[in-house]
Amino acid sequence: MTKLRRAFGAPLSALIVFLAGIWILGLIAAPQIIMIEQSFWTMQRPEGAAELSVKIDALYNRLDVLALDHAAAPDEAARAAVDAERDAVQTEITALEVEESTPVKTWTLSNYGQMGKAHLAIFAKTILASLAVTAIAFVVCYPIAFAIAKLEPPRRAAMIMLALVIPYAINELLRVFAWQMILNYGGPLNAALGLVGIGPVPFLESGTGVFVAMVYAYILFMVFPLYNVLETLDTNQIEAARDLGAGTIQIHRRVVLPHARPGIAVGCIMTFMLSAGSYAVPYIMTRGTADPWFTQLVYNRFFQATNWNVGAAYALSLLVVCTGFIFLMMGLLKVRLRDIAK
Amino acid sequence: MSGQGSGLILRLYMAVFFVYMFLPLGIMVAAGFNAYSPPSVTVWQGFTLQWFGELWADQRMWSGLRNSLIIAGAVIALALPMGLAGALLLGRLGARAAGLLYTVMVSPLLTPGIILGISTVIFWRNFEVAGGLFTAILAQTTFVASYAMLMFMARLQRQDATLEEAARDLGATPLQAFRRITLPFLRPTIVTAAVIAFLQSFENYNTTMFAIGGQHTLVTEIGSRMRFGLSPVVNVIGIFFIIATITCAVVWAILKERERCAANGVSA
Repeated sequence: MTKLRRAFGAPLSALIVFLAGIWILGLIAAPQIIMIEQSFWTMQRPEGAAELSVKIDALYNRLDVLALDHAAAPDEAARAAVDAERDAVQTEITALEVEESTPVKTWTLSNYGQMGKAHLAIFAKTILASLAVTAIAFVVCYPIAFAIAKLEPPRRAAMIMLALVIPYAINELLRVFAWQMILNYGGPLNAALGLVGIGPVPFLESGTGVFVAMVYAYILFMVFPLYNVLETLDTNQIEAARDLGAGTIQIHRRVVLPHARPGIAVGCIMTFMLSAGSYAVPYIMTRGTADPWFTQLVYNRFFQATNWNVGAAYALSLLVVCTGFIFLMMGLLKVRLRDIAK
Repeated sequence: MSGQGSGLILRLYMAVFFVYMFLPLGIMVAAGFNAYSPPSVTVWQGFTLQWFGELWADQRMWSGLRNSLIIAGAVIALALPMGLAGALLLGRLGARAAGLLYTVMVSPLLTPGIILGISTVIFWRNFEVAGGLFTAILAQTTFVASYAMLMFMARLQRQDATLEEAARDLGATPLQAFRRITLPFLRPTIVTAAVIAFLQSFENYNTTMFAIGGQHTLVTEIGSRMRFGLSPVVNVIGIFFIIATITCAVVWAILKERERCAANGVSA
């Protein structure tokens, strides 16, 4: 802090700390903390609500008795006494009823238990499918990235990457929508299959469409990080390995892949996170006909079932899986956060 | 020998990959000019510009565009100062504190977008603020500021610290030194960061969808139209997005090329 003040002076330092503080505490930390907190409680009927309701019933009986007493009262004084007691009972009933019906905040883990078998299966499906998307993206993209970075002359490589920026930078929704058209009942793929006597195949209704569109939508998030690290690999290293008698597989296993670790980590983390957290792809590709993606369940908890506590628990489960995946990749590939976020 | 053969296979593979990347976009563009609705390329009923006219007359798209621009403007105004403050703070902290702070500041980039959106809405609900443009702005700022911070950090690392010191030795106050030395040095990055922030905000779907409540932006509106794919109007929007993307990519390439030429010119 003293370093900060010496460099920028007191007023500017205060402004820097203020702005960074609002961002870090107000925008990043506080919402996450509130979401975590919210996932661990629920509004419940107060403890002893059953006893309370028995007590209230008894008081109502007493009220009936008092009404009879009121009618049978011999004189004004007795009637006033009965009235006084009736008012007191009435007040007590009102107070107890408020207590009975006001839910209290109860700490619980039950929001996480709400998932049930069906939702748990969707959660697992979402994670497994996202892992599969990540694996496919890596297998498809590694040769591409290697070919562009190491086999093409630098200027041609730059042109190729510039061309790839176009499908990469175009809005995710458009990439998804293109595949909705292709895989639709009347789409070109079913038309082609029809020529050879197959189909029509319900790609969208079976959930296949989600997977296909997801691979297409996120595959370039694997190409760019891989290309960026492979571009920095000294081609002489590959030549040297070949001169020393290494075969193609050995060169990749011992020279290229170890060099590409940070790029592999970034590519896998981005692809997995985008897939597992994708709302657009399942939303557009299923039209509600196939099983939902987990993100759609999260959305529904909040905006249709309006159970925000359960919704928070669902959202947090997704966040934990994604964070876990980041640590897993960092551990497996031995890279640090600074290598990832560039 | 085997190198030639495998090189050829790789080239072929790359060609297939390019067809895979561009053909779907081509199909989408083509359907935007087809007189048939819903969008299709298998039933061709002749070339038309009719859908451009329908898009022009579409009020919800215009209001979505207006909301998108409002949000993007606010996000730029918030995220750039916050990102810059974060980067400046990082440079003046001890290694341990900086490491921790850095982790927190890049964490929004490693968090699924829907979580950023929904946690913002949950937080503001406690203050009786419902989801809308305001929460969408804050949710987007959370991660756009991370991009800005990384860009400013990269630029600041290349700053010549002696310049600022010289200014101070010559009697400039810290504020003057910052305004006259550091800020001009950062100017190109401020421009780039503003462009990136605009694109990130304008194109965002996931975070916005969860944060915006009953309102809509251009992109969330496109999303809900696409679900049922009823009219080629969305294809026409797609055409505009593609044109804009290509223009940006080409301009960016030209600027880079110029920069490269300038650098070469100096060294030669």
